[in-house]
Amino acid sequence: MILPYTLRLVFLCFACFFLVQAVFGLASWAGTTGAIRAAETMGPRSAARFLLLLRLLPGTLAAFAVAVLCIPSYLLLETNAPGERVGLLCSAAALLGAAISIRSLARVARVLWISARHNSVCLREGQNMEEAGRSSILVMNGERPVMALTGVIRQRIVVSRALLQALSGEELDAALDHERAHHKSRDNLKRLMMAMAPEIFPFSRLFARLERSWARFTEYAADDEAAAGDSRRSVSLASALVNVARMGGPGAVPELASSLLEDNDELAWRVERLLSPAPAREETRSRAFFTIAAVAIAVAAITLALQPLTLNLAHTLLEHLVR
Amino acid sequence: MEPENKSFSTNTESTHTALGHLERSIMEVLWSRGECSVREVAADLPKPLAYTTVMTTLDRLYKKNLLRRRKTDRAFRYLPRLSRNDWERQRADSLLAGFLTGSCSRSDLLISCLVEAIGEHNQTLLDELAKKIREKRKELDRGREK
Repeated sequence: MILPYTLRLVFLCFACFFLVQAVFGLASWAGTTGAIRAAETMGPRSAARFLLLLRLLPGTLAAFAVAVLCIPSYLLLETNAPGERVGLLCSAAALLGAAISIRSLARVARVLWISARHNSVCLREGQNMEEAGRSSILVMNGERPVMALTGVIRQRIVVSRALLQALSGEELDAALDHERAHHKSRDNLKRLMMAMAPEIFPFSRLFARLERSWARFTEYAADDEAAAGDSRRSVSLASALVNVARMGGPGAVPELASSLLEDNDELAWRVERLLSPAPAREETRSRAFFTIAAVAIAVAAITLALQPLTLNLAHTLLEHLVR
Repeated sequence: MEPENKSFSTNTESTHTALGHLERSIMEVLWSRGECSVREVAADLPKPLAYTTVMTTLDRLYKKNLLRRRKTDRAFRYLPRLSRNDWERQRADSLLAGFLTGSCSRSDLLISCLVEAIGEHNQTLLDELAKKIREKRKELDRGREK
């Protein structure tokens, strides 16, 4: 296929994005079981951070390779010839790269749209109970037991009246603290980042297990922060969870929301954890997270420091790819 | 004739999924330990049994296509053909298939029974969790009184 200068750059960007994302994505996917096992030895917050990093790393590296290597090396070193042939491999990779990017953008647009619509309904129909210096609480009418932190930038806790009536004062306090913990750690923003992170192939869901594990550790972390090492608060939160499950399970909330009880499958585990909490080990074993982050920063720094050598190398690789 | 050394042989008959008590105990040993000789299985069983009884049961399980085996020196070593999860799944599949292919099968009846069973299971689980919470509360109250 003969393509003009600018279109060739677009093809190369998507092809480069796909290939880097595929290499690191497959490595990340292959290491999922080991990573989850490693995460289980950490404190829940560190574990969630580690799994989030693993999920975001392939896409971030791919975007980095395109922005720092592919585009500058092409613009600086490629002669502006009127038309040049682009090979089959490059075209296929570019199409796959475009497909995974479009899919990610569509997913982000969908979750943002659903979240915005849900927020506007909550604001219109809910009764606002501002908490001084804390996230606002919206009380909604409805039979289903809803308690969730919604929104990404302006976050609110949405509670259904049915749940307010069903929970005791202590249970409600502990449940609200669980949602505040999600607020504090910006878990909804992390959900959005995960929605933004591309898959390896257009119709695959290879990161689903990693994402589920991240969600599980996030819930554990919010439980621990709500309990704050107090056994009574742990028991109150456990009791709140069981009450929500008794009321027929959690009501539907958008994808960009952190619900008190995501699904009933995790209920028994969470209650057991709250009733017999393990000794805190939050900050002692978070080395894996810092190691990965340090390696990524070091690679970026070396790449930038070795200019123009890296640009020349990148250009040579692109020349091979385009053929 | 059984193949010699290293290579595993499998029975090609369809898998029979119903297991007796002893068969189940032996499968549990093999699922937890992996490949075992007759003697190793016998040693790991919860209650002592004669070597020949264990050997006959292992042979029966092999004929039911639940085990693979290979000959090392003069003894067989056995290995489960399916993981515990796969075996449970296969059991559930054949139970459902058996019901649905029956002469007067009623899939709606089956589904309603399943939904009811899941509901009962959830209710039991919630009752158990609530009981644990009550016990923990009592324990904390006792601690406070002391």
